[in-house]
Amino acid sequence: MRETNRRGILRDRFVLGVLRSSPFILFALLLLTFGLLSPRFLQPSTLLLILNQASYIGILAVGMTLVLLTAGIDLSVGSIMYLAATVAGLLLQRDLPIAAALAACLATGALYGAVNAFFITRFNVIPFVVTLATLIAGRGLGLAITRSEGLTLPNSLFTLSSLRPFGVPIAVYVFAGVVLLATLFLQLTPLGRHIYAIGNDPDAAEKAGLNRKRTIVAVYVVSGVCAALAAFVSISQLGIVNPSFGEGEELDAVAAAVLGGTSLFGGVGSVFPGTVLGTLLIQMVQSGLVFARVDIFIQPLVQALVILVAVLIDSARNGLLARLRRRTIRKTVSVPGGD
Amino acid sequence: MTASQIPLLEVEGLTKSFFGVRAVSEVGFGISAGRLLGVVGENGAGKSTLMNMLGGVVPPDAGTMVVSGRPYAPRRPKDAKEAGIAFIHQELNLFTNLSIAENLFIDAYPRLGGLPFIHRADLRRRAKRALGAIGLNVPVTTRVEALAPGERQLVEIAKAVNAEARLIIFDEPTTSLTHRETERLFTLLETLKGEGTAIIYISHILADVLRLADEVMVLRDGALVERGPRPTFDTRRLISLMVGRDLAQLYPPPAAPQDAAVEPVLETEGLTQPGTIQDISFRLHRGETLGVFGLMGSGRSELARILFGLDRYRTGRLTLRGQPVDHLTPQEAIARGVAFVTENRREEGLLMDASITENMSLVTLHEDARGSLGVIQQRDLEGRVACLGGELRLKAPDYAHPVRTLSGGNQQKVVLGKWLAAKPDVLIIDEPTRGIDVGAKYEVYNLVRELAARGTGVLFISSELEELIGMCDRLLVMQNGEIVGEFGSPFDREAILAAAFREAV
Amino acid sequence: MRSVNPTDAPNRTGGLATLGRRLVVSEYFVILLAALLFVVLWPIVPRIASPQNLANLASNVWPLLAIAVGQTLVLIVAGIDLSQIAVVALTSVVGGAVMTQAANPVLFEQTPLWGVLLSEGGGILSGSPLAVPVALVVMLGVGALIGLFNGSLIAFARVPPFIMTLVSLSFFSSFAVFLTRAENISNLPSAFTVLGQGEILPFVSFAALVSLSLALSIGFLLSRTVFGRWVYAVGQNPRAATISGVPRARVVVAVYTLSALCATVGGVLYSARLGLGRPGFGQGFDLLLDVIGATVIGGTSLFGGQGKILWTVFGVILFVLLTNALNLLNLSYFTVNIVKGSFILAAALLDVARRRLLVTM
Repeated sequence: MRETNRRGILRDRFVLGVLRSSPFILFALLLLTFGLLSPRFLQPSTLLLILNQASYIGILAVGMTLVLLTAGIDLSVGSIMYLAATVAGLLLQRDLPIAAALAACLATGALYGAVNAFFITRFNVIPFVVTLATLIAGRGLGLAITRSEGLTLPNSLFTLSSLRPFGVPIAVYVFAGVVLLATLFLQLTPLGRHIYAIGNDPDAAEKAGLNRKRTIVAVYVVSGVCAALAAFVSISQLGIVNPSFGEGEELDAVAAAVLGGTSLFGGVGSVFPGTVLGTLLIQMVQSGLVFARVDIFIQPLVQALVILVAVLIDSARNGLLARLRRRTIRKTVSVPGGD
Repeated sequence: MTASQIPLLEVEGLTKSFFGVRAVSEVGFGISAGRLLGVVGENGAGKSTLMNMLGGVVPPDAGTMVVSGRPYAPRRPKDAKEAGIAFIHQELNLFTNLSIAENLFIDAYPRLGGLPFIHRADLRRRAKRALGAIGLNVPVTTRVEALAPGERQLVEIAKAVNAEARLIIFDEPTTSLTHRETERLFTLLETLKGEGTAIIYISHILADVLRLADEVMVLRDGALVERGPRPTFDTRRLISLMVGRDLAQLYPPPAAPQDAAVEPVLETEGLTQPGTIQDISFRLHRGETLGVFGLMGSGRSELARILFGLDRYRTGRLTLRGQPVDHLTPQEAIARGVAFVTENRREEGLLMDASITENMSLVTLHEDARGSLGVIQQRDLEGRVACLGGELRLKAPDYAHPVRTLSGGNQQKVVLGKWLAAKPDVLIIDEPTRGIDVGAKYEVYNLVRELAARGTGVLFISSELEELIGMCDRLLVMQNGEIVGEFGSPFDREAILAAAFREAV
Repeated sequence: MRSVNPTDAPNRTGGLATLGRRLVVSEYFVILLAALLFVVLWPIVPRIASPQNLANLASNVWPLLAIAVGQTLVLIVAGIDLSQIAVVALTSVVGGAVMTQAANPVLFEQTPLWGVLLSEGGGILSGSPLAVPVALVVMLGVGALIGLFNGSLIAFARVPPFIMTLVSLSFFSSFAVFLTRAENISNLPSAFTVLGQGEILPFVSFAALVSLSLALSIGFLLSRTVFGRWVYAVGQNPRAATISGVPRARVVVAVYTLSALCATVGGVLYSARLGLGRPGFGQGFDLLLDVIGATVIGGTSLFGGQGKILWTVFGVILFVLLTNALNLLNLSYFTVNIVKGSFILAAALLDVARRRLLVTM
């Protein structure tokens, strides 16, 4: 009897181990599959291309991760991107220096995030509703400014985006910088740790004297700035701001964070490796399908399926973890702790 | 200067009303360094409000507080902390996703020079020192979610000690602790006292208060009814002071003696679920009250969940009302006459925002519904609930009110009520009197007696041995997921405790 | 905050304030607000009360109401269904492919439907008297399957509803686009389009009949049956509900299936009105935002356990009236967006205020 128990536990441990490293395994499997389908896929230049394309959605997802850690959500990031890009585009069209346009772009994002935060903290409206409302209103505001017309950007910006120090596209540096800063912030600053604490138990945080409102404000402002930066990176690659720019990006950002192991219920998740891995996973599938010359109408189907698989694995992992935690009664069993 | 003579905290005429109702009325007391003041009172007697005023959670309407000779008027919990007063709430304020060290310094991280970064090495070093001071031997980088309830409590105490609290308020600290953890806590309290810390200790467990306190204070209806040195009190006197009248007995008398040949309503044989319970075999008879005693983590609650079909078992046999059961679900269990009052009524027992009627009718909705669509006959349903409520002596102005507005005791009656409606043959009750006051306890006991008299077999799970001895015909003792002993009346306390603690200590 | 003193003698202003409070807390507040909006707008844009505009208003209410009713159910069990618009799109395409009377080979030759369901002569049942009934059954079947799929994974695999229905949304809306390679299927039989355009009596359209009966039946199910009580119980406290014998998983699966079926009905009405099998319903989020916005404005909580079909009816009416008024005022698409967004926010703020009032009353 004891022997079979032990074997059952070992099996559970193994399954758990596999599930825990599932993002990595999925990543490797997909890399292999696309490599087999199209050997060119595994060349360093291709992988750099994927990184380059992933960078703007990655930056967006980093901001979203912070928000999700507080058990919130920011649905408005797509509209923030559009509004910030519009501001930047208009300034660039008037021949202002790129640095000034970037500063204005980021300030727009920060302001937008502050508006979200204001309604969330001042009136206690849940983030889902606030950011849903500002998603709609923000897009309207942007369209009102541009009169629903596309903005063509000067070449100087495009030249900047095609810089490749040490052979690596500049957008990748920006992405890496954001990831580094966010990781330092989350892991090593008191405010970063307070984000985890508030996401875990907001009431306890209040009682412990943490400034919940200030932290929430910080998180949404950071998310706004990240969205604006993502917009800037993206428009510098595209050279144009379309009226539909940024539409639906909020869902990709949430998907990237969740695929990387960030919980929608707050308190659990990481920017590195979590969200970075999630972003790469999504972008790799997208690029891989293009490389494998898959029908463009089938591509989104495959993408959705891959995300579904990742989501199911994540649920299976959480379920197994919960079951294993419950087995703490009998002494013959040692408990696998959290990761 | 002798510390023990100068009162650390002095309170006078403290008063607080909510919506015109006095929750605390002109309470005054003092406590000196190195002393332990026990505070007892029924739910709603004003203990929490009083402590919340001390802790800066709510401001008093009137009255003064003085700490070490200086006026003290906290407006936020932080003010209390700065005055050296720490408040350890019943629900712990720990962040389970963070490490012990981070929890200890969550609002005062050591910084790296003048930088905004956390000095990790320093954090670990200081946390280690803090844990050492209270004798908790766990790596400081362990996440709180991996700790046992008792260890979490110790972390909370370490937080208070670490903040150099001179007065620590404990609100029901032992409710989720095992016996061994409780003993450890008590030893620590002695140590803290020895170091000059003053302690206010609130508990429903009168024996603990009488054991620990230097002085005892009894509250009733927001007023201080008695205060004095411990030797002037005993359990009986405390209870009559709390309730305001003499309770003839703590436990209602049992019904007529049971017929020995009655049929079993619940029978298990070799029930095993790896990791939780092992080889559980027993019989519960019609009209019998069978106690299950065990420490926290002995597998008693897990057994209850399995018997109700909430968790699975791998091997063994389960028989309900003589019928073998296979793959039990809660619906199936209810259909076979099983009822289950869980240990935490807020999380698992009640729909807190739903009305009394909705809660009490939830289990038996089908009985008041007609047709294949299940159309509810609202009038029948309300009539039945009103009838039940009368039987339970439920005190509520209106059955359309949400149960959130009820006292703990009345909430527990609602939980019992919804199961009474189903007329169960097997009633599993897990810690039914936890956190409810003496008067309500007696009523819960009464209901159990009545059910047993009507032929229900009751499986009474509790960590309070006195309660089990007072209520049960037979007693099973669980330990490490197994039944390690069976006892009949008259009960031998020593033997029962010995069985429960074997290996565990 | 001023503490409430129950002994305050009721004076004139106090009486008015109490009346105001009663009004704000009342469940008819949203419909009163809609009526007020209408009355205020009437002198400004008299056209709003023209029979033509009223008919237009109504025809905008019915499909949205059908979908919002399903969303209400899901919100009550503390879930959310983002995939509803994908259901609208996919059922629209599939139904169209079954019953269309002609298909242009230039547009459809490359689609996976060509030769399977579609040919030059139209859909597989083109011209048959059974075409419309079969198409409706197929549409409902497809909708139910998607709902079952969502519900099962949410109930059994414990995937968070937001993520699950998000994935469903992207998969099934892409699938609808894939089936026709983004082309609309036209030439739908008149027996079908009459559902969206025809009237039984003046002002009583088929769409009104369908949508109102749906709202009434779901409303009855929620407020008068055992199943309804279970839905609320699961939304309020799934653990307590399970222990009280509520079949949580079955309730959740049923709710998501019903939600998808409601979306299918909305799909039928939209497709019939346009006379198109249109894969584009699932692209862009305007429709989804309308559904969630209208439901939330009605007062259904995103936290579960609270909501009524009646509230959703009111919410949809207010939302449609608002959009209509903004259009009549000749405001641009973007101003409409700004106002709509502000309205959702205002509704949420109002909800917070209502809750506070309820606590102190």
